[in-house]
Amino acid sequence: MDYEQIFAISAAGMASEKTRVQVAVLNIANSQTVATRDGVAYQPLKVVARPVASPAFGSIVDAALSMQPTVEVVADQSEPRQVYEPSNPLADKDGFISYPAVDNISEMVRLMSATRAYESDVVAFNTARSLALKTLEIGGS
Amino acid sequence: MSIEAISAIAASEGATAGLTDYAPVTGQTNVQSFSSMVSHGLNAVNTQLHASDIGLQRVAAGDTQSLHQLMIGMEEARLSFQLLMQVRNRILEAYQDVMKMQV
Repeated sequence: MDYEQIFAISAAGMASEKTRVQVAVLNIANSQTVATRDGVAYQPLKVVARPVASPAFGSIVDAALSMQPTVEVVADQSEPRQVYEPSNPLADKDGFISYPAVDNISEMVRLMSATRAYESDVVAFNTARSLALKTLEIGGS
Repeated sequence: MSIEAISAIAASEGATAGLTDYAPVTGQTNVQSFSSMVSHGLNAVNTQLHASDIGLQRVAAGDTQSLHQLMIGMEEARLSFQLLMQVRNRILEAYQDVMKMQV
C-alpha cells in the first residue's frame, strides 16, 4: 500500500467525521422548530457508518487493508415531542405542538467525539506524511 | 506556483512514453532515453502542483467543498516535489563522483 492509498484512507475518515459534524449541527439548529399544521416537520437525522471494502485499493490480498468508512445519512424514526402550549398559533385542537425529537446533549456529545476523531485523522495523516519525507532522506548526509 | 520554466524544458523534450514509476529498471526501459524519463517526471510534478494551485484558488473564491481534500492534494504535491529534488541530488552526486576520476 503506497502513500497515496494511506492519504486517501485518511481523507475518507475525515469526510465521514465532517458529515457527522454537519448532521449534528443541523439537528441542533432545528431542535426548536415546530411542526406546521400541514405536517411539515423536521425529522432528526442520524449518521450510519459502515466499513466498506474499496476495490480500488489493491488486490484481494489487501482487502482487509482497504476497508474505509462510508457514511449515509438516514432520518431518525423517533416520535416528536409533544408540548402543551395552547397559546402558540400552530397548536392543534388539543393545544399541543410537536417539537422534533432532538436531544441537545446527545448532539453535543456527538459533536465532541466527531471533533476528536477528525483530529486523530489529521494526526495520522501528518504521521504518514512525515514518514514519507523521512524516507526521502535515505542516502543523504 | 506553476513552474513555467520546467514545463518549457519538458515541452521541448517532446513526447514521453508510458514510464509510470521509477522503481523497476528492467532491460526494456533502457531503450528509453534518460531525458524522456526526466521530462516525464517533471511533467507529473508540474501537473500536481498546478492542480493544487487551482484548488487553492477555488478555496479563496469561497468554494470550500472539501478543504481536507485540498490540503491532502497539496501535501502530495509537496512530496512529489521533494522526491524530484532528491533524485536531482543523487544524480548530481553520481556525476561529481564520475568527474573526480583522474584521467
